[in-house]
Parts: sequence; structure tokens; C-alpha cells
Amino acid sequence: MITLTHFLVVGACLFSIGLYAVLARRNAILVLVGIELMINAAIVNLVAFSRYDKAFYGGQVFALFAIVLAAAAVAVALAIILNVYKFYKSVNPEDIRNLKD
Amino acid sequence: MPNLTLTYPLLAALSAVLLPFAGFLLSIALGKKARHGTVAIVAISLSLLAAGYAFAQVWGHDPIHVRWHWFTIGQHAFHVGLLLDNAAVLMLLLVCLIALPVHAYSFAYMKGDPGIHRYWAYLSLFCFAMLGLVVADNLLLMYIFWELVGFASYLLIGFWYTRDAAAHANKKAFIINRVGDIGFLVGIAMVYSSVGTLDVQALFGPQGVFAAPAGADIPAANGKGTVTAGWLTVAGFAFFLGAMAKSAQFPFHVWLPDAMEGPTSVSSLIHAATMVAAGVFLLARVFPLFNEAMLLVIATTGTITAFVAAYFALTQYDIKKILAFSTISQLGFMMSGIGIGMYHIALFHLVTHAFFKCLLFLAAGAIIHEMQHMKEKHGLAIDPQDIRNMGGLRKRMPITFATMLIASLALVGFPLTAGYLSKDALLVHAFEWAALQRGPVSAIPYVLAIVSILTSFYIFRLLAKVFFARPAAILANKGVSAHEAPRQMLVPMVFLAFCSLFPLFTFNPLNDGQVWLLQGIAAELPTLPPLRLLHLLVPILATITTIIVAVVVWRWYIRGHYPLNTTGALYRLSERQGYVNELYGAAIVRPLLKLSALLWWTDRHVVDGIINGIAAAGRALAGITTWIDRHIVDGAVRLVGKLAWGAGNVLRRSQTGRVQQYLALVFFIILLILLYLIFAQA
Amino acid sequence: METLVFYGFAAMAIGSAILLVSMRNIARALFLFFIVLFSVAGLYVFALADFIAITQLLIYVGGVLVLLLFAFMLSNKELLNQLQRGVSHFFAMPVWQALLIAVSFLAILIHTAIQVGADEPAWITASKTAGTTIQPGDNTVQHIGVQVMTQYLLPFEVVSILLMMALIGAAHLTRKEETP
Repeated sequence: MITLTHFLVVGACLFSIGLYAVLARRNAILVLVGIELMINAAIVNLVAFSRYDKAFYGGQVFALFAIVLAAAAVAVALAIILNVYKFYKSVNPEDIRNLKD
Repeated sequence: MPNLTLTYPLLAALSAVLLPFAGFLLSIALGKKARHGTVAIVAISLSLLAAGYAFAQVWGHDPIHVRWHWFTIGQHAFHVGLLLDNAAVLMLLLVCLIALPVHAYSFAYMKGDPGIHRYWAYLSLFCFAMLGLVVADNLLLMYIFWELVGFASYLLIGFWYTRDAAAHANKKAFIINRVGDIGFLVGIAMVYSSVGTLDVQALFGPQGVFAAPAGADIPAANGKGTVTAGWLTVAGFAFFLGAMAKSAQFPFHVWLPDAMEGPTSVSSLIHAATMVAAGVFLLARVFPLFNEAMLLVIATTGTITAFVAAYFALTQYDIKKILAFSTISQLGFMMSGIGIGMYHIALFHLVTHAFFKCLLFLAAGAIIHEMQHMKEKHGLAIDPQDIRNMGGLRKRMPITFATMLIASLALVGFPLTAGYLSKDALLVHAFEWAALQRGPVSAIPYVLAIVSILTSFYIFRLLAKVFFARPAAILANKGVSAHEAPRQMLVPMVFLAFCSLFPLFTFNPLNDGQVWLLQGIAAELPTLPPLRLLHLLVPILATITTIIVAVVVWRWYIRGHYPLNTTGALYRLSERQGYVNELYGAAIVRPLLKLSALLWWTDRHVVDGIINGIAAAGRALAGITTWIDRHIVDGAVRLVGKLAWGAGNVLRRSQTGRVQQYLALVFFIILLILLYLIFAQA
Repeated sequence: METLVFYGFAAMAIGSAILLVSMRNIARALFLFFIVLFSVAGLYVFALADFIAITQLLIYVGGVLVLLLFAFMLSNKELLNQLQRGVSHFFAMPVWQALLIAVSFLAILIHTAIQVGADEPAWITASKTAGTTIQPGDNTVQHIGVQVMTQYLLPFEVVSILLMMALIGAAHLTRKEETP
């Protein structure tokens, strides 16, 4: 029997891995991939909870929205990354330190 | 009730008052350009015309009273207005009539004086103040003009302010007048608080508050009870105090002789019609206020003044001082007249006295003018006012001599002169009054008679010394020649000489009962039981004694048979003016000076010490404050700054610019929050 | 059987993800991401959300992943060279702070998940007892279509506008500058 907890644990694992990617990887594209992992973890949770909402399908509809928004976010983020690359000739976040005091 | 429409007499009186004021303003505005005095003379001439018209319209008719609302304090309305009754228009005309000759005389007398533009302005102001005083319809307005008179006289007496004596004299006049002014003010306050109005007609008119028969109770202002007799006596005394100072009554007379420091023409104006007359006029105005006791006080004071001043006049050598004491003495006569209840006779005497006293001063001025000229021309070291330096001027200044003789005869009350009418009327009525009195006051008419004899003596002495005696050695040696005064001075003198004779007042030179002036004022007064014999006896005796005195003076001064010891105590008392000034000096001035010195010392050592101590304490406190400020407050501020700087310095290390580090921090904090929530739930 | 397949998908997703984040080679990492997305889509099917699973495949695998590859190729020329040359280190060294935070989050999330399993929300219980849970035989697609057009019409429109804005924004950001 696959319970709610199963899904939640899988989501937790994916979220943590995405978080690690965001914090640790030295490549902007992989940071983006980490973010996508985290979004996917969230979607997993939404879908899992959706089983118990037959009246409105709230979880599934919002999962749909989330996927669409994530795609849009990726499009914009990649555009930004390309611009940053054009400017710095690098996509390593460590190299981009103009915010340093 | 007073009406509010302006009639021609009112307009005339108003313009008579305001014209000199306009002259004053114009003179001030013109400044040094107004040297010739045309403005002042034109103003006073027009004023005289207006006053004459007002007099002709009002005299013998019902009083005209007009007033306008002035201001309101609380629920008490004050008015400003004119009251034209017989006394007011008489004084109005008199003041103008005296002022015009004085102005004309000044034209020659003051010629070439460096400050003459001021002189004209002050003279106009003086006339304005006096004219305003006589037509004022309430006591408050009267008091304002009263003060103005005092102020203008202060300016005129101190006209030659560069002289020490003049500066002292005007201070003295002013200070003594202040004493009287306070009395006047207190009187006004007492009347207002008890009766609730200051309107002269409402207070003292025929239907006024005080018109009730003596001894009757007067309703108080608040409608409860009555004004007590004691209260009235005090109020009356307060008014009398004001009049005493203004009219130079003993013992407040000391300012008048000193006021001779002013120009002689000013002296004549002060003595004749303006300043000193104000006191008598005031008493005549408030006459119904006085009760029996107060009248006795007034009569006594007047008599004492008359006697003392005449006594002082006997031995003076300064020509103007003699005349000054003469004025005081005559004012004493007038006061006595008011004191015996015959204020119309007092006013009559005031009028006649105004003419002949003015004339006396103008003549004296002419003489002084000549003496001054001689002194400057020949470089003599003489006092131009000392009668011992004069003599034999009868031939050289015949017109001056003639006018002065007429004035002197008027002063002593010789028949055919105006002085005879007023002075003998006064004496006769004094005797009639004394017949009804008991006790020492019944001696008053006798004293007045003696004063009359003394008056004859001192004025004849003056005439003898100046005009008849041999010229003083110092003048004879130089062979100098005096000559008559200029015509501009003589014309006013001749005019006044005519006014000093009887035709101006009556066609019967021997009977004062037919004087129109007395009939105009005396209407409302109670009459005393006439003593027929006195009307005959007093004038005859007075004339005879006058002739005797004249003969005595002739023998003593002109023939040189001088019998008296000039070192006698009585003589010295007279010469030193009764030591009144010295008494004031010892009793008032010196203690005041001592007190001032004491206060000065206190101020210097105690008050200043305290202040310096406070200052030192303040400085010490300031020092402590500075230290605290510099070391503690500034330190605290710097500490805060250092802390902020240090914290910033530490915290800026966290700004690495590494995005992932920021993210890690964010997630770390979210982690902490989640942990807190979990454990808080548990 | 069902459960085993679920575990298989879960293991594949988690394992690929772990491999993804520890891999140095980005191209390979991106392909591993493809596997992860696929597995997650499988998990969606187990959660009775077949339409979502299909959407996941269409948008993520068909759109996002291709975009990522494009961007990677446009930006990492030297990395591409490196890719062609072969790499010395297969795994990237973990950064310990990041690892610490990630593991902490994992612990907390799993703790929460277990708590939810043990003490489930009232509305889930109510749904279970009322029997109004989604059943495997339901027509999900129809339901979602109806709901999107009725209950969630406003969010749908808002999201569409947002998408358009994102499109314009992305196009603007990547256009060639006429004047630098």
C-alpha cells in the first residue's frame, strides 16, 4: 500500500538534493537544475495530497500551474545566465562577486 | 443734558484751543526756520478772535456743554467735551488777551536768541495747555491739560537749559508740581470712586451732586449709603494740594521765585494768566466740593501765604524775585477769597491781577533788557536784575516808568485802577465773613489788611530804587546812558496798562458792586449780610495807608533816611526767604540724598555682591557642565560611534558577494525557524 | 507488486538526483536530470495524477531540458571542450556546509512527513471516511479541464499572462544589443 508518507519522503529527499545542488554546485546551470529538483519535490507533494480532494482537484491543478511556471522561470533564468556569460565569460557564481562590500 | 451739535460758540472755543496747538505743531515741523515767531503770533491772534467771539456769545447766557464718547473701561464710559460757562469763557478770553501781548513783546525781547524757534513752540504749547484746561468739561481731561501746563512750564523755565540755575529751577518746579499733581489725581480718584462721574457740570453744576446744601448727605455711587463728610474733606484737601503746588501756596511756593530763571516774558505769562491761575481756576471749578472745615483751611493757607510772601518781598534785591513774591502774595489773596466762599471775587482778582502783574513783568523785562544791553556794551560786571544797580531810569525810560507806575498802583489797590475794585472787594467781603466767624480765624481780614500795607511798601520800594534813586555809582562813573525800550515792547505794555485801569470792568470806579464780571459769576453764590459801613471805611483807610506808605518810602529810599538795621533777625529772615529752602534742604533733600547714598551703597555692595556671587556660581556650574559635556557626554557619543563603526567593520566581512553563501545563510535561518516551530509545538 | 514498482521509481529518482548533484560533467548531469524527471513522472502516476505525469514529460523533458542543453552548449565552450577531452574526476567534491544544511532539511522534512503520516489532517480523514478520494478509475483529465475552466479560472488567466510576460522578458534579455 502506498501511503501519503511515501510520497512525502520521496519529496523530502528530492528537495534536499536540490538544495545541495543550489548551494554547492559551481555552475549556474546546475544551480538551476537544483531549483528544478526542488520544484519537482513540491509538485510531488501537491500531487500526493491531491488524492484526497476529489471535489476540486486543487493539488493537481496547482501542480499543473507549478510546472508551467517552472518552465517560464527556466526560460527567464537561462536568458539571464546567457547574459551573465556574455558579460563575465563565466557561469560560475563564485566569479560573480559585484555585490561584495 | 449736553447736546451733541456744534454751535458757533463751541466751534469758536474749540478753535481757540486748537489754534495754538496747530501753531505748536507747525513750529516744531518748521524747526529752525520758525525763528521769527510769525506762526505763534498768528495762531494766538486768531485764537484771541475766536475766544472773543465765544465770550460774547456765552457770557451771561446758559452754559453750553458738549461732549463725545471717548473710551470705555469695563462699563465706565469716559467722555471728552467742552464746557463753556461764564468762568470758562472768561478765562479763555483772559488767557488769550494776556498771551497776545506777551507774544508780541517776546518778538522784540527774545530777538537773536539762538534757541528762539524752541521758544515759540513752547509758548504755543503752553497757551494750548492752559486754554484746554479752562474749557475741559471733566476732571480727567482737566488733569491731562493740567499736566501739560506743568510740562510746558518745565520746558520754558528751563529754556536756557545750559545754565545750571535754570536747569535746577525747572527741576524744582516740576518736582514740587508733582506733589500737587498727585493730590489732584488722588482727588479725582476719590470723587470718581464715591460719585461715579467726572463731569464737572454733573458734579458741581447747579443741579450737580455737590450742589446740595452744606452738611447734607451725598448719595454714593453704588446707591448704598452716603459719602461721608470725612471722605469729602480728604478729597477736598487732595484737590487743594494740587492747587497749592500749582498756585505756589505756602509751603509749596519755593519753585516760583526760582522759576524766574526763565525768560522774563515767560515769567509774566506764568504769573499772570497761565500756570498759577490754573490752581485758582481749579478751586473755583470744584468749589462746591469744599465743606466748612476745608474752606477754613484754604482761607488760612491763603492768608499765611499772602503774609509770608509779602514779608519776603520786602528785602529782595532781584527785581524779578520781588515780583515773584508779589505774585505769591496775591495768589494768597485769591485763595483767601475762595476760602471765605467768594470765589467769584477770587476770579475777578485773578483777572485784574493778570493784567497788572503781566504788565509789571513786561516792564521789568524792558528794564532788564536795557541793563543787559548796557552791561554788554560797556563790559560792566553787574547783575542786570539787581535793583541796587538801577536808579534814575524815570527820565530815560519814561513810558516804561508810566506803565509800571500804573501797574504798581493797581497792585496796591489805588482808586481808579482795576486792582482797587478787586482787592477792596476782597477785603470788604473778608471783613463781612469774619464777622460771622469765631476764634482765631476772625483775624484773617486784619492780616490781609496788613499784607496790603506790606504790598504797598515793597512795590513802592521797587519803584523808588529803580526809577527815582540816584544811579548806582558804577553806572554813574561810566556815564552810560540807558534809553527807552523798542516799540514792539512798548505797545503791549501800553495796552496792558490800559487794561489795568477801571474802565474795562465798570463805569463806576469806586463801587465794586457794579462790576459786570462779578455779576456774571456770582449769580449762584449765597450772599453774606452786607455791612454798609465797611464798604465805605475799608477803601478809604486802604487808600490813606497807601499814601502814608508811599511817603515813608519816599523818605527812606529817595531822601536816604534809612532807619532800619539790615542785620536784624527779622530782616535776615525776610532776605533769606524765611529759610524755607534751607528747611527743605535739611528736612527733605539731605535725608533723601543720604538715603540715596545708602541705597547706592546697598546696591553696590549687597545687590551687586549677590549678583556677582550668582554670576560666579553660574560660571562654576558652567565649568562643571563643560567638563561633563566634554568627557562624559562626548565620550558616550563617541562610544556609540565607535561601536557602530566596529560593528559595521565586523559585519561587512559577511558581504562576500557570493550568491550561494547568501542562499546558504537564508536556508540556515529557515532551518532554525523550522526547528523552533517543531520544538515549540512539542 | 505495485509497491515494488513505486519503490523502484523512487529509488531511481533519488539515486539519479544524488548522482546528478555529485557529478562534475554537466552534460551528463543534465541527462541524469532527464532520468529524474522521468521517474518523478512515474511517481505521479502512482499518485493517480496521470495528466500531470504526461504534462511533466511534455514540458520538462520536451521543453526545459532542451532549453538547458542549449544554454549549456551556448555558455560552456571550455566545458564542452573539457567534455570532449574527458574528465579526471568523476565526482564533484561535496561542500560540507551545503551538505550539512541539506541533510538538516532532509531530517526535518522526513520528521514532518512521518508526523503527517502518524497524525493525519482532519480533512484527509474526513475525505477517507466519506470515500471521496480519487479512485484509479476516475477520468482525471475531464475533471481537471472542468475545474480549470470553472473553479480556477482566475489563476489560469493570471498564469497565462505571467507566461506571456516571461516569454517577452526572456526574448528581451537574450536579444542582440544594437548599442552596447
